[in-house]
Amino acid sequence: MADFIKNPVVDLLDRNPEPVFSGKDLSFSKDEKAQIMKWVSSYPSKEGAVMHGLWLAQEKFGFLPPEVIQLVADEIGMPYADTYGVATFYTQYFKEKKGDYVLDVCTCFSCQLCGGYDILHYLEDKLGIHKGETTADGMFTIQEAECLGACGSAPMLQVTNGPYVNHLTPEKIDALVDALRDGKMPEFESVTLPQDEDELGGNRRTDVSLTPTYGVCPVSETLS
Amino acid sequence: METQSKAGDWRAFKRVLMPPVKDLHKLEVYEEHEGYAALREVLTTDKWDPTSVTNEMKKSGLKGRGGAGFPTGLKWSFMPPVDPDIPRFLCCNGDESEPGTFKDRQLMEYNPHLVLEGMLIAAYAMSIKTAFLYIRGEFADWITLMEGELEKAYAKGYVGQDIMGSGFSCEIVIHKGAGAYICGEESSLMESLEGKRAYPRIKPPFPAQKGVWGYPTTINNVESLACAPLIIRNGGDWYAGIGAEAHPGPVLYGISGHVNRPGVYEYPTGMLITDLIYEVAGGMRGGKKLKALIPGGSSTPILRADMIEGLTMDANSLRDAGSMMGTSGMLIMDEDTDIVAWLRRITHFYHHESCGQCTPCREGTGWLENIVTRIDEGEGNFRDLDLLLDLCTQMEGRTVCALADAAAWPVRYTIDRFRDEFEARCRPSLIPSGGVLENA
Ligand SMILES: Cc1cc2nc3c(=O)[nH]c(=O)nc-3n(C[C@H](O)[C@H](O)[C@H](O)COP(=O)(O)O)c2cc1C
Ligand code: SF4
Ligand code: FES
Repeated sequence: MADFIKNPVVDLLDRNPEPVFSGKDLSFSKDEKAQIMKWVSSYPSKEGAVMHGLWLAQEKFGFLPPEVIQLVADEIGMPYADTYGVATFYTQYFKEKKGDYVLDVCTCFSCQLCGGYDILHYLEDKLGIHKGETTADGMFTIQEAECLGACGSAPMLQVTNGPYVNHLTPEKIDALVDALRDGKMPEFESVTLPQDEDELGGNRRTDVSLTPTYGVCPVSETLS
Repeated sequence: METQSKAGDWRAFKRVLMPPVKDLHKLEVYEEHEGYAALREVLTTDKWDPTSVTNEMKKSGLKGRGGAGFPTGLKWSFMPPVDPDIPRFLCCNGDESEPGTFKDRQLMEYNPHLVLEGMLIAAYAMSIKTAFLYIRGEFADWITLMEGELEKAYAKGYVGQDIMGSGFSCEIVIHKGAGAYICGEESSLMESLEGKRAYPRIKPPFPAQKGVWGYPTTINNVESLACAPLIIRNGGDWYAGIGAEAHPGPVLYGISGHVNRPGVYEYPTGMLITDLIYEVAGGMRGGKKLKALIPGGSSTPILRADMIEGLTMDANSLRDAGSMMGTSGMLIMDEDTDIVAWLRRITHFYHHESCGQCTPCREGTGWLENIVTRIDEGEGNFRDLDLLLDLCTQMEGRTVCALADAAAWPVRYTIDRFRDEFEARCRPSLIPSGGVLENA
C-alpha cells in the first residue's frame, strides 16, 4: 500500500464513528414522515426531496451524523452514498455537532471593507475561541461565512441558519450574546429600502416590529 | 467627450418592481394594486396566447438580471415545441450568492407576488406545468415568507389546477438550498433540484433541450421573471422605453461599501455611475475620494475612479469601459481601500466555492488565493504577478462552468488596473517581470 494511503496527509473523516443517536431517538415521527412523503410527491423523482429531508433531520437532531443521514436515505429510498454526498456538498448541513448557536459572521468583500473582520475578531475575543471552534459550554460556535446577500447592511451575521443580524457593532454583539445566553433568538429585521424612507416615511411592512434602515457602514480596522 | 445619462429624468422615475405601497407583500394589497391582473388577462382573454406573450417579452428588450444578461424573450423561444408526453419545467433562480448582490432578497420580501405572477406568466408562455423557485438556504426567513404567500396564492386559485377557470394549470414548488454559491449556476441548480451534489453540467445540451430530469427547462433570475407581469400590464414598448436603449428596463441597483446611503435602489438602466454614487447613494462616506468600484458583483472587472467619468450602467457602456453589468450589485471603495487585501478575500471566496469538478478551477482558485495571500503578506515577488496572470489564462474558458472565469477576472483586471499597488508589496525578483529591473 502506498505510504500516503496508510498515512494520509489530511485527517480523513472517521468512517464508522460511534453513533450518537440510536433506537427510539433515531426515528421520524408520523407527521415528519408524512411531510417527507409530501415533498417526495412534489418532484418528478423522489431524490428531489433529499435536501428538504436533510433540513428536517438537521432541525430535529441538530446535526447530521452518518446514522441520521442513513435515516433520511431510508425514508426517501435513496442509497446512503448519494445522500451522504449531498449532505457533505452543502455548507449549511452540519456534519459534526455544533454549539447551540452557530454565529456565521460574513467577512466577504463588502463586509470585509465595512468591518466584518473587526466583528469576527471581537466575537472571537469575547467568547475565547477561534472561528471554527465551539465554546467549552457548548453554547456558541463561530464560523466565517461567505457573502450572505445582505451586503448593504454590512457587517452582519446569521444565527444558526436563521435570522440575520445587520449593522453589527461591538455593542450589538454584546447584546446579541447576552440575549442568546437567555435563550432569545433575534427577531426578524426588515431592512428598509432607502427610497421607502423618502416615499413611504419609513418601512413599508406593518407586520414586523424591527425595521432598521440601511445606514453608513463602519470603517474597518482589519481586513483579514 | 461628454456622455449623458441614458436614464432620462431618473429623479422622476416611479418605481414599478417595488412601488411605494405599504404592505404590498400581502396578497390583499397586491390585488388592490393590479395584482394578478396581468396573469388574468393572459389566461382569460383572447388577446394573448403563448407565442404573443413571448413576443411581447422579446419586444420589451428585457435582458436577464441574473448576471449573464441574456435576452429573456429569446431564451423563452428556445423551448422546443410542446409534446404532451414530455414534461417541461421552469426554474426561478433565487440563489443570489454573488458577493455584492442583495436585490432578489429585497424583491422577494417586498413584492413576492410579483415574482410568483411572473413565474406563472412565464410558465404559460412556455406551456410549463411545474415551476421551481430555488432560494438559497441562508434566506430561511424569506423562504418562510415566500411559502406563506405561495399558500395564499394557492388558496385564491392563482396557482395550481385550472387557474382562474382558464384550463391552464401550474404548480409552484419552493426549493430551499443549503449553502453553495455554485447552485446559482443554472445547470448546477438543476442538479441540486434533482437531489444530487450540485456539479455543473457540460453544455451543450442547453437547459431548453435537456434541463432538470433531462426535460426541456428554462431558468431565469427572480428579478427577470418579476418584470414579466409589468411588461404584460404596460406593454413591451413601454418597457423598452425605460433607460438605456439596448439594455432597457427598471433595474435594482444594490449599492454597498463606502457610501453614505447603501441599499437597494430601483432606477432605470443607463444611470450615470457618478449619479448613483453621489446623488442616489448619498456620496462617499466621510467625504473620502472614490478609488474604485465593482459594477455588478464580485466577478465583474473592477473600475478605477478615473474610468467612470460619463460611464453609464448598461451592458454596452460597461463592456466598452472594460467591465460588465453583471447583477448590478455595486461595491464602492474609497481611497483608503487596500486593494491587495481585498483581492485576497475574493480569491478566498472562489477557492471556497469551487465545486472541484475541473482541475483548472479546483487547483487554480487555490493557487490564486495562495499567491495573492503571499503578496498581501509582503512575501511576494514581482514575477508572482505574471504567474498570477498566467494562471488566469490557464483557467479562463477551460472549465465546465463559468466559475473559473469569474474567479480569474477579478485577479486579472485588478492586477491590470492596480499593478503599482501590487508591485509596492512585492520584493524584486532576480528575474524581473517585463525585463528591466529598477530600484533593485
Ligand atoms: C458561478 C455562477 C453563479 C451564478 N449565480 C447566480 C445567482 O446566484 N443568481 C442568478 O440569478 N444567476 C446566477 N448565475 C447565472 C445563471 O447561470 C443564469 O445565467 C441566470 O440565472 C439566468 O437568468 P437570467 O437569464 O434571468 O439572467 C450564476 C452563474 C454562474 C456561472
Ligand atoms: S469551473 Fe469550477 S465550479 Fe465550475 S464546474 Fe468546474 S470546478 Fe466546478
Ligand atoms: S459581503 Fe457580507 S453579506 Fe455580502
